[in-house]
Amino acid sequence: MKWLLRYSFLLVIAACIVFFSFWNPVFLSAGNQMNILEGSAILLIVALGMTLVVAMGGIDLSVGIALDFGAAFAVVALKEYDAAWYVAILAGIVGGCLIGLLNAVLIVWLNVSAFMATLGTFFIGSSVQRIFTNGGGPISHRRMPQEYRDLAVGDFGGVPTEVLIAGFVLILYFIFLERSILGKRIHAIGLQPTAALIAGVEVKKIIFASFIIAGATCAIGGLIASANIRMFTPLSGFSYLLDAIAAVFIGASMHPRGRPNVMGTLVGVLFLGILANGLNLMGLNFNTKDALSGVILVLALAFAIGQRRLTSLRKGQT
Amino acid sequence: MTPILDMAGISVTFPGVKALDKAMLTVLPGEVHGLVGENGAGKSTLIKVLAGVYAPDEGVVSLGDEKHISTLTPNLVHTAGVRFIHQELHLVPHFTVAESVFMGQEISGRFGLDKSTMNARTEDFLRETLNADISPRTLIRDLGTAERKLVQISRALIDGRATLVVFDEPTAPLASDEVDRLFAAIGGLKSKGIAMIYVSHYLREITHISDRVTVLRNGKAVKVFNEVSDQITDPMISAMVGREIAEMFPKKENTSNKKLFEARELSGMGFSQVNFDVAAGEVLGIAGLVGSGREELIDTIYGLLPVTSGSMTLKAEAYNPKRPAKAVKAGVALVPRDRRHDGLVLDQPVIDNINLASLEEVSTVLMEKRGVAKNRAEAMANQLDLRPRNVTMIPRLLSGGNQQKVVLGRWLAKGGDLFILDEPTVGVDVGAKVEIYALIRELAAQGSAVIVSSGDPLELLGLSDRIMVLQRGFLAASHDAKDVNVDSLVALTTGGSSGAIE
Amino acid sequence: MIAIQFVRKLLEWVPVAVFALMFIFLGIEAPTLFTPFTIDLMLKQAVPTVVVSLGLAVVIITGGDDVVSGGIDLSIPAAAIIAAAIIADQVTNHGTALPIALAFALLAAITVGALNAFLVVMIRMTPLLATLASSVAVVGITKMITQSKRINVTDPFIVFLRDGTVIGLSAGVVAAGLLTLIYWFLMHQTRWGMQAQATGGGREAADISGISTKRYQAISFLLAAFTGFLASMFVLARGSGSSPGTEENLLLEMVLATFLGAAFSPRRKVTVWGAALGAVLVAMLSVGFKSIGVNVFWTGCIKGALILIVVASAAATTRGRY
Repeated sequence: MKWLLRYSFLLVIAACIVFFSFWNPVFLSAGNQMNILEGSAILLIVALGMTLVVAMGGIDLSVGIALDFGAAFAVVALKEYDAAWYVAILAGIVGGCLIGLLNAVLIVWLNVSAFMATLGTFFIGSSVQRIFTNGGGPISHRRMPQEYRDLAVGDFGGVPTEVLIAGFVLILYFIFLERSILGKRIHAIGLQPTAALIAGVEVKKIIFASFIIAGATCAIGGLIASANIRMFTPLSGFSYLLDAIAAVFIGASMHPRGRPNVMGTLVGVLFLGILANGLNLMGLNFNTKDALSGVILVLALAFAIGQRRLTSLRKGQT
Repeated sequence: MTPILDMAGISVTFPGVKALDKAMLTVLPGEVHGLVGENGAGKSTLIKVLAGVYAPDEGVVSLGDEKHISTLTPNLVHTAGVRFIHQELHLVPHFTVAESVFMGQEISGRFGLDKSTMNARTEDFLRETLNADISPRTLIRDLGTAERKLVQISRALIDGRATLVVFDEPTAPLASDEVDRLFAAIGGLKSKGIAMIYVSHYLREITHISDRVTVLRNGKAVKVFNEVSDQITDPMISAMVGREIAEMFPKKENTSNKKLFEARELSGMGFSQVNFDVAAGEVLGIAGLVGSGREELIDTIYGLLPVTSGSMTLKAEAYNPKRPAKAVKAGVALVPRDRRHDGLVLDQPVIDNINLASLEEVSTVLMEKRGVAKNRAEAMANQLDLRPRNVTMIPRLLSGGNQQKVVLGRWLAKGGDLFILDEPTVGVDVGAKVEIYALIRELAAQGSAVIVSSGDPLELLGLSDRIMVLQRGFLAASHDAKDVNVDSLVALTTGGSSGAIE
Repeated sequence: MIAIQFVRKLLEWVPVAVFALMFIFLGIEAPTLFTPFTIDLMLKQAVPTVVVSLGLAVVIITGGDDVVSGGIDLSIPAAAIIAAAIIADQVTNHGTALPIALAFALLAAITVGALNAFLVVMIRMTPLLATLASSVAVVGITKMITQSKRINVTDPFIVFLRDGTVIGLSAGVVAAGLLTLIYWFLMHQTRWGMQAQATGGGREAADISGISTKRYQAISFLLAAFTGFLASMFVLARGSGSSPGTEENLLLEMVLATFLGAAFSPRRKVTVWGAALGAVLVAMLSVGFKSIGVNVFWTGCIKGALILIVVASAAATTRGRY
């Protein structure tokens, strides 16, 4: 029974799959399954960055900005400086790190709460993008080097590069957060920072580094996005924010102790991917789809967190 | 005289523990009744039965003329005029005194809150009943601890319907001169004919203000003193402990006298110019009231607070850790006073808590070797007799004593030269206490230096080789443990207040 | 020790000082800024922000000012936007009478509040996550209603809110002023308000005093959503209709105004009047910078930096033991 409650979210996903495949049999085709994976790649990367920050007891509202900066730095490097593709990738990651660094400085040095700090970063980052692009016009770069373009459209043995990149990041995060001793320390900080501090954990250093790592991770998502559409679209990262948070919390609801965790986040991301894909296949109008997915998201979160509360009530703890 | 409260034959059983075993407590109208006993003796359980929080398995509780059997509810008790002054203050820092007193029972006029009436009534109550002069418009965060305590008392009593007030360790957070203010307030209540139950660890206070005293041990009321004087301190202690005090503590064997840690003219937040040293193999006790600088001194040694002047040496090298991670690296370990908040990650399994300070030792290239980690934790659990012996459990579900064993286990696993234990046995039952004492002496026997900071004079006397006493941030005395006894130690810590030193 | 306390006291005044300097700078750069006419203009500009900030103040007062575990409502601007969209859509596209359109809008806004209350009080989501999620859903639904298009409104009442005057002041400004008074009275001058404050000040302490904290928290979200509904009319008036994407700026100004207000209040706590004052100051800055020719794209940057200055100075003054 406990097991059933804990994994009841998987049943919801199964129900969605059944529903969508009745509506449109194409949903189940191998090609479409790959579509779902491809469509989830960027979100997974961003959500993993978010998992790190939430596991550490914080929140990062600026993941979208880090993603935008990743894309912007890379595209500008390619377009204005004729940089090689790998230099562009490096530039993009540096862009994400800068956002993470700003957050880290605000949170660790100035003692601002993670929410406020990343909210401030969000607004400043958005404003900087508007200033730089003179109001938010995209920077397109048609003659993108093929290697860079391949980040989004290439494939290895039929598996799209972006899926491979996301998978690689997933494995790294799994090892980092769930198997390494750093991960142990991060979880300890997230649960009880003073207890971790007194146990000799370098709390401030780890928080500092984690925000930078999260920024860099999100920038990878930005690289893929810019390679895909061959341009940098300002403020496009914002759309990933809530989905990333939702994926993390859905994932946490499946953990025995309600902790954010890498595999749970993967399940959350896939759920959102299936949802977006299924709604697309239903042929809904763009605005209707947005509304519907927003509503379903709220319901899914309420369900995930509500059933978690039920499970813990059963165990007699609150 | 009909008692205002009569609790008879009260038994309460928790899973695996008989918390109260036919306990009794009788309070007469207008008296101050002291309730004493060691941690885990059943004091707080008895109070919670009275509060209607726990329903007793058996027994009768009579309030005034009414008899209630397991039907007490918090509301009913409140209506009967019983008020509880909890240990925690439960005040909102940015509220004014009057706002805090009337919290939940605000007075409203035609044009909204009647602030002037509330201010006036608060001021009157504080002055006339509690003998205190506090402006009702002061913010709580600008008050001292004793004044906050008085505000808390006013909140419970402002409606004027109290007949019995229960004080749970009211002086625990107070400095010595502040205690007098509280006693003045209690005197005020007494003159109004209000009966009181006074729960405290400080026997001196008990003998000072109580009319009668009940002693609890292992859930039983083992002794009632109907006459109270300074002479009953010793009989009270032996009634509480139930055995010779000496039996609780391990033998002291000081193995060496090589100086391991030294503080010279050390000043920090809350203490100044403190000189002391600890040798390898020695247990140094630190005594002092809350506010004496005892907590701050320990936090400073561990790098949680900055050194403002002076110096420290550890193993003949200059030592100034700046943050705990550096202290740990240098070989210092802290068992903090608030183990639930600062000592343990309550929701991470025991394995992780035990290995948290020494994760490098259970890993290769930063990857945790889970088997090694588990074996290590299990070995530690065996060594410490952790109950239950399940290292995948989360510490939140363990008893206080076992939680403390996990904290100790972490530092045993890590190893160190200087162990600092801050209130190591608060909230720990007698059995586990004895085990923890043995462990502390063993650490010293193996060549570590140990500092024990405690508010419990018995503990300090039984455990330490030497005891230093802090008073208002200054080192007031430093003695061999065999040269002091409970009375002289208490006199040293409380300093000039209420004529303790004559 | 004393030096440290002194520095902390100084830090408390940093936000006030920053604002004072900015206004001095603006006053020198654009002396016309502080004429009665421009002040009225700036106040008018501030009205929607003032109204939603009142709502956020209520939620923070009742929930506590820790943004993660305490009270926060990021969905008030979304509630305002959906209410505005419903009014505009009904009045302009369907020819519904304004009172009926208002009733629909009120229903929608209150639903948002009830959803928040449900998610926070019953499901026990953190307010941050709950209101963020409901805000995204509501913005999505708003897009569906308006099909992401601008809808003009020419209803006389809305136009009156924009252009009308009451005793020589703009109607909108008078209305916002009255509303501030009402919310101030409710939160700071009644038993209900005191108990709400107690709930936010210390949940456990309030529970022990017999205050039903859950109910207070639930009602605070409804009161906040109600300000969202009221703000919708002023949003329509200010923009002469409903246009997509207004919520982001409103959100920024609301959060900034409310926390700024705390920096100005004597107890350094979020208050109703503080939030209103903060909103006015923020709007004055926006108008002021625009009038001296600062690129509008910079305003987000300036406001974001201001938020950080305000919260960082607050954090520096309350830095605890560790």
